[in-house]
Amino acid sequence: MNWRDQHYWLVVITGFLAGTLGVLLAVWGNPENSGICVSCFMETSAGALGLHNNERMEYLRPELLGFVLGAFVSAALLREFKSRGGSAPLARVFAGVLLIVGCAVFIGCPIKLVLRLAAGDLTVLSGLFGLVIGVGLGLRGLAHGLHLGRTRQDPSGSGWLVPGLFLLLLVFYFVRPGFLLQSPYGGAAQHAPGWVALAVGLLLGFLAQRSRFCITGGVRDSFLFGLRAPLLWGVIAFVGGALLVSLLTGRFQPGFYGQPGAHTDLLWSGLGMLLVGWISALIGGCPFRQLVKSGEGDSDAGLVVIGMLLGGGIVQSWGIAATSSGVSLAGKVAVLAGLMLVVVATLFLREDA
Amino acid sequence: MLSRGLFDKLLWLALLLLAAALVVVVVRATGSSGPSANKVLDKAMERAMTYQSRVALIRELYGPVEVLLQAGQDQSALLKLAEIEKTYPGEAHGQMLKGSIQARLGAIDEAVASYATGVKLRGDYVDKENPLSWRVEIGRIVETGLQTVSARLATNPDNRTAKATMKQLYYLQSRLAGGCE
Repeated sequence: MNWRDQHYWLVVITGFLAGTLGVLLAVWGNPENSGICVSCFMETSAGALGLHNNERMEYLRPELLGFVLGAFVSAALLREFKSRGGSAPLARVFAGVLLIVGCAVFIGCPIKLVLRLAAGDLTVLSGLFGLVIGVGLGLRGLAHGLHLGRTRQDPSGSGWLVPGLFLLLLVFYFVRPGFLLQSPYGGAAQHAPGWVALAVGLLLGFLAQRSRFCITGGVRDSFLFGLRAPLLWGVIAFVGGALLVSLLTGRFQPGFYGQPGAHTDLLWSGLGMLLVGWISALIGGCPFRQLVKSGEGDSDAGLVVIGMLLGGGIVQSWGIAATSSGVSLAGKVAVLAGLMLVVVATLFLREDA
Repeated sequence: MLSRGLFDKLLWLALLLLAAALVVVVVRATGSSGPSANKVLDKAMERAMTYQSRVALIRELYGPVEVLLQAGQDQSALLKLAEIEKTYPGEAHGQMLKGSIQARLGAIDEAVASYATGVKLRGDYVDKENPLSWRVEIGRIVETGLQTVSARLATNPDNRTAKATMKQLYYLQSRLAGGCE
């Protein structure tokens, strides 16, 4: 690890800010332990757009818009915006759906996993275990020849479509067209002031584009490079920042029971995150990273984002999303089916097959 | 046959015209109060009206139970609830009222089970600012329940009823703590 490396410090600062702001967003109004949660945000945003009918989960989260648009601004300013894609497009849409399935069964994305852990929620330990194993299995699959296809420069400019869509959603956020729904009650009704949430989203999207910050990327790089991996230190800074603010704001309540937005079906938490970790390793990043990449012109990541939005609707409509009372039958079936699909992909999408 | 240059010019012109038309359509619709403007408002308004009518229906439906409760006639209130449940099975509000009566009668296990069923059916009961909120009552039973039921479990760790109640109490505690549900 090179302490004089500017990139290393950029990753650490991004991780620290993501951790501190992640907890602070909950202090400022977001649901407990969900200051930043890409899967929760996808589910509530899908609800706001009428993609499901859970009246308690409808709110177009400005943080989500900020992540993509912040990354877009960063990439555009520093001339890193490149329209590219073409690697297994349909498979990536399905990967996006399955990412949200895994997250919904666990109740949260890898970022929320860390935020829950930093708030003392010990039920996430099985999810953490599952995530690490999943990333490891994904890496093993890649090492054995799994290849989704080459990403190419895209002269058609499809990399502009997802940033354009999110810009349109930002217009919707401010103009409030009649079809846009907003829950008056429930988890989605809890939110930080819109401008604050948008500013945090833009800042983190900008920094994450510069630093390539990613939770599963940190786990992956620690497998590959050990302690020399900057992303690993970014994740450690993220945990540290979140833990520090949790302690300072009195939100650290260590325990196994009665935790906000958590269940004790540990096996299914673990399997949900196993699915998320495995897919994230195969497609090159966690749900947050996919948003950031889509903002810098990666239409492959853009298709994952579309899949995640679709998944946000599906997990609510089909009763896949877990609640504090546990994981539904639909959730268990969806996770097992998702894992089967990933195993099949790992077996048959090999370059030597 | 159109030359490519002319065709491109026409496309640029079409693009400009379409953009102008879009602006005109949006500006006119924003400024008007005609039928098209009302149509887009319907969804949110319909949702709000449905919710209000649900609250009104609940108040009307369970009004007689509330009257019996205020008169201290808990057994009659329970009978009335059972009668309503036959017509409206799975209605969460009945579970909440049942839980309230059971708690008053000292049947903690049954009260916790009723509250948990009610909250699972409708999360509105744990919201802070909701006309249907029972947050204070639920908080109270969670606080006392955790003490009494854990004491029972300490003396008899194999007590299945106490174990089940404890699980429900943790569920209610988790819902009270918040989260994205």
